[in-house]
Amino acid sequence: MLRVVKRQEPLKGGTPLIVVGALALSLGISMLLLAAQGKPAPRGLFLLWDGAFAHVHSLEDTVLKAIPLYLCSLGVAVAFRMQVWNIGAEGQFALGAIGATWAALHFPDLPAPLLLPLMFACAGVAGGVWALVPALLRLRLRVNEIISTLMLNYIGILLLDYLVYGPWKDPTSFGFPLTREFSPAAQIGRMIGRIHWGILLCAAVGLALAVFLKRTRTGFEIMAGGAGARAARYAHMPYGFLVGLVMVLCGVASGWAGSLEVSATLGRLQPSIMAGYGYTAIVVAWLARLRITHIAFYAFLLAGFRVGVENLQLELQVPHAFGGIMEGLILLSVLAGQFFQNYRFRRAEG
Amino acid sequence: MLELALPILAATVQSGTPILYATLGEMLTERSGVLNLGVEGMMIIGALAAFVVTGATGSPWLGFLAAGAAGALLGALHALACLVFQGNQVVSGLALTIFGVGLADFLGTPFIGTTVPGFDKLSVPLLSALPVFGDIFFRQDALVYVSYVMPLVFWLTMRRTSLGLAVDAAGEHPAAASAAGLDPVALRWFGVVGGGFLVGLGGAYLSLAYTHLWTSGMTAGRGWIAVALVIFAFWRPGRAVFGAYLFGGIMAFQLRLQAMGADLPSSLLLMLPYGLTVFVLAASSARGGGVGAPRGLGVNIEPQE
Amino acid sequence: MRMHAFARRRRKHTKRTDPAVPPVVRLISISKSFGAVKANQDISLDIRPGRIKALLGENGAGKSTLMSMLSGRFPPDSGTIEIDGAPARFRSPADGIAAGIGMVYQHFMLVERMTVAQNVLLGQTGSFWLSPRAMRATVGALAEEYGLAIDPGARVDSLSMGQRQLVEILKLLYRQSRVLIFDEPTAVLTPAETGNLFQALWNMSEQGKAIVFISHKLPEVIAVADEIAILRQGRIVDEFLEHEVPSEHALANRMVGREVILEVDAQPVPLGAEVLRLEGLSGNGLEDVSLSLRQGEILALAGVAGNGQKPLVETVAGLRSPQRGAVTILGSDWKAFYGAPQKESWRGGLAYIPEDRQGLATCPDLDMVDNFLLTTRHGFSRQGFLERNRAEEQTARLVEEHDVRPPVPATLARQLSGGNLQKLVIAREFYRHPRIIVAEQPTQGLDVSATEEVWRRLLQARAHAGVLLVTGDLNEALQLADRIAVMYRGRIMDVIGRNEPDAVGRIGLLMAGLRKGKREDGTAGEGARARQGEDGQGAESAPGGAAR
Repeated sequence: MLRVVKRQEPLKGGTPLIVVGALALSLGISMLLLAAQGKPAPRGLFLLWDGAFAHVHSLEDTVLKAIPLYLCSLGVAVAFRMQVWNIGAEGQFALGAIGATWAALHFPDLPAPLLLPLMFACAGVAGGVWALVPALLRLRLRVNEIISTLMLNYIGILLLDYLVYGPWKDPTSFGFPLTREFSPAAQIGRMIGRIHWGILLCAAVGLALAVFLKRTRTGFEIMAGGAGARAARYAHMPYGFLVGLVMVLCGVASGWAGSLEVSATLGRLQPSIMAGYGYTAIVVAWLARLRITHIAFYAFLLAGFRVGVENLQLELQVPHAFGGIMEGLILLSVLAGQFFQNYRFRRAEG
Repeated sequence: MLELALPILAATVQSGTPILYATLGEMLTERSGVLNLGVEGMMIIGALAAFVVTGATGSPWLGFLAAGAAGALLGALHALACLVFQGNQVVSGLALTIFGVGLADFLGTPFIGTTVPGFDKLSVPLLSALPVFGDIFFRQDALVYVSYVMPLVFWLTMRRTSLGLAVDAAGEHPAAASAAGLDPVALRWFGVVGGGFLVGLGGAYLSLAYTHLWTSGMTAGRGWIAVALVIFAFWRPGRAVFGAYLFGGIMAFQLRLQAMGADLPSSLLLMLPYGLTVFVLAASSARGGGVGAPRGLGVNIEPQE
Repeated sequence: MRMHAFARRRRKHTKRTDPAVPPVVRLISISKSFGAVKANQDISLDIRPGRIKALLGENGAGKSTLMSMLSGRFPPDSGTIEIDGAPARFRSPADGIAAGIGMVYQHFMLVERMTVAQNVLLGQTGSFWLSPRAMRATVGALAEEYGLAIDPGARVDSLSMGQRQLVEILKLLYRQSRVLIFDEPTAVLTPAETGNLFQALWNMSEQGKAIVFISHKLPEVIAVADEIAILRQGRIVDEFLEHEVPSEHALANRMVGREVILEVDAQPVPLGAEVLRLEGLSGNGLEDVSLSLRQGEILALAGVAGNGQKPLVETVAGLRSPQRGAVTILGSDWKAFYGAPQKESWRGGLAYIPEDRQGLATCPDLDMVDNFLLTTRHGFSRQGFLERNRAEEQTARLVEEHDVRPPVPATLARQLSGGNLQKLVIAREFYRHPRIIVAEQPTQGLDVSATEEVWRRLLQARAHAGVLLVTGDLNEALQLADRIAVMYRGRIMDVIGRNEPDAVGRIGLLMAGLRKGKREDGTAGEGARARQGEDGQGAESAPGGAAR
């Protein structure tokens, strides 16, 4: 018989081991699923790697997907840090895209130095407000934020659908649900290869958040509020303000992610931008154990899996949903793996 | 007027049924002290299992049971993560939803656009002849009739059996349950797996009775609505019935409006149930303030040395 | 240590010192470690039917660990438990219950949302189907049989602590436990309820039950026990039969392992300005509470837990807003005081040392520096940035000065023992130079030397602050306080000076809701009548006890 024993001190340096183990387990199960469908699993594994990381072209694809994922994950991590379970990055992303598109469609003639900041301002406000609503509902009416953010995801996506199928539809699109292409001033250009300038925004936001959380008093309060809400109240921290703040931070970051997608990647708004980055961001944030500095790596990794799965889709006709399976498995196994950080099994006598 | 209302009310019962199953399932899980946000994933896996098994065997009842088993299996995964590996219940549930939705999509691809026999309408003799009531409640399919007794069975189990008492104790105060000689971890396994079974049944309703076909993403957030309804219902089965039919009503109404070609874009109409969820939660939380939440909900049981 | 009120009702000795009675339980060289901590080492103990065995020891001596193993919560690392002469191996509390061993935990193991009957029958219902009516009848009959006055249909969260303890006892009686273990059972009781409990223990032991009474309160142990075993640092250091028991002082020295000074020097200091004033504070479970606290004094708030101390403290500490009445802190209105920017108010204001050290006063998963910063962060921030290095140095200094062990600022709060955590909290709060200190059960769970240290600090603090001391330990109140306010059901029953005649007796009565404070005619006040009406037993009337 095995007994569970709590470790005296958390296992040091075990995290990489746990992550590698969890990834291996998830990949193994995923490949078994492929094999069960009569597809060659080893080749699948190769295609996954090849499509994501093996060539300059695939690396560019991975980075392009990592950019929105990174921004959303930053926001999710900050909120989760405070034990505010904001599942709403997806909807906030949608609203960001809508906000940026509104500015791009209404002021197409503004020069880029004015229009781009305006687009980001609108995206930030739209995403922020979309996140502030559940924060206020939680603080004023005690509505569970998991449910409210999730419902607002559905509503945000439907709002986006409504706009591109309705008022914002490009009259020359032959009925396809998409807006007009943005004016050149509303489009962010490329920096290196196919990678756009948005990556600089990522760097700036990441750096600012890291410094904010690590070095400022408010950052300390967010960390302490997450470590113990009761202690935070005891110490007279402005708990309600902090909840609102982390939600809005997540809303703005996710909103900017949406804004980058329409402005830099597609140059217009269309339903296909809703690729589920907001949900994958939860996986990334948890893999990084909510540490801002670790998010870039995991965003890159998970973005790579997404690109790799597209390659699988192309080469082996594996359904797109395969990515969801992998992500779910990774999150589950990492979660279970973290057990070994604080506990171990011991054989019990008798 | 009645002619217009009757079909909507009958459709209300139909749309409310899958949500009712799922709500009762999540309620059982939460009363044992475990929060499971994987309802959406379990439900859609249930829908797929029901569809596939019915297609293979020709027996919708076997499909119905298979859906329960599939939901229970996914529930067991959650139980493993939280009860054995001490994982965070919120995150594990989210992972389960991501996994379940992905898996259903992946495995269901070959079945898109196909149909199976499923459950058809079955009028209850005598009762269906009742004016109004008969039309609304007793010209439905067999799974709806099963769903009528479910809340009663749930209530009886929780209030009138030692099992129910023990499950509640595990959810309220696991240490007290343990001191009384019960095994709270085993009771939570029961809550999570049994709850998953009920949620899976709710999924079966979607692919065997509500429609007879498989489409990807066919749960469309109903699992999440069920999670919200447990809070709305203050963890009591009676209020769950009310909540489920409220949502059934809004969905039926919304579909009806679309069918009548109302001059409103469908995306806006589709927002109704989601908006209503937030509204209903705000209204009930403001009044009840979390009344009824089991005290041990969401808190893992630390292993004893 | 002046509380001997219950000793008056000592039972007539039906001496059963016959050592030939075979023990029902034998513990044979039991050892148990948690990591590096040796909680129990080579403990052997006999527990005999019809006798009350007291297990005396300081907090952390290993009493609860030992009894948890006996009740089946976890297994010993080595050693044997013999029941009726045969070795037993418990895998779970269920095995312990089956062997006739029952335990009343210090923190009651009751499901508050359930009824008395449901709690008593939980896990023991026998049949699958339940009838609430039959359950109530069964438990009602059992309560009647043992003369315990309790409504089997009442929900536990509506009961007083004393009544909840009756439910725990009923649970053991229903399970026909032969060995009844009580872990610090008097911590939540009024003196009168304690007397009732002792009567019940004597009655049950006369019926042949073996009783284990775990405590660190010497007078209670001396009053109730037939045999005393002293546990120190995980070992049994002494065992006494009743007639061999030495003086209280000698027992204390054996328990602590060194000479104990049981009295502290609490010479009054000159009083300064009024720092805290409550006028007609009502709502949140309080009724018309008025108090005044001046710099230089310690005002104790005595009473059984749950009589309004919590809302009062939380209101004063700014965790909930007053509903009716006025709270004046350092001359400012409550709203103004807590609305002021913390940039200035973090220092020289109000410090709250709460009962819940791990969870409220500190975050278990943060290290000492972060925990230090919780309430002092405004002193270490410049333009919104936090000067962590300076905070780290300051923490190191304070840890040194207050002798917190281990003296490593990177230690997580949950790795600290209760006493060291309290030292850290006190170091932090005193660093803020408070002019009001609200100390809530500041020595609960601390060993004697840590208790002395905390007392010394509180007495010193009078030089610059007024202290509101909330305590359920009457001895502590009498040792430290200049005045003692007694709370009962949200009211201040009376405020009594420490040196007033018969302070102990009057406080004891006031804690039970008997308004005997000023009048000596013995008529019960309204509080007592309300109490009698509810639970059917007056605090003064003879206890129901177990079986006549």
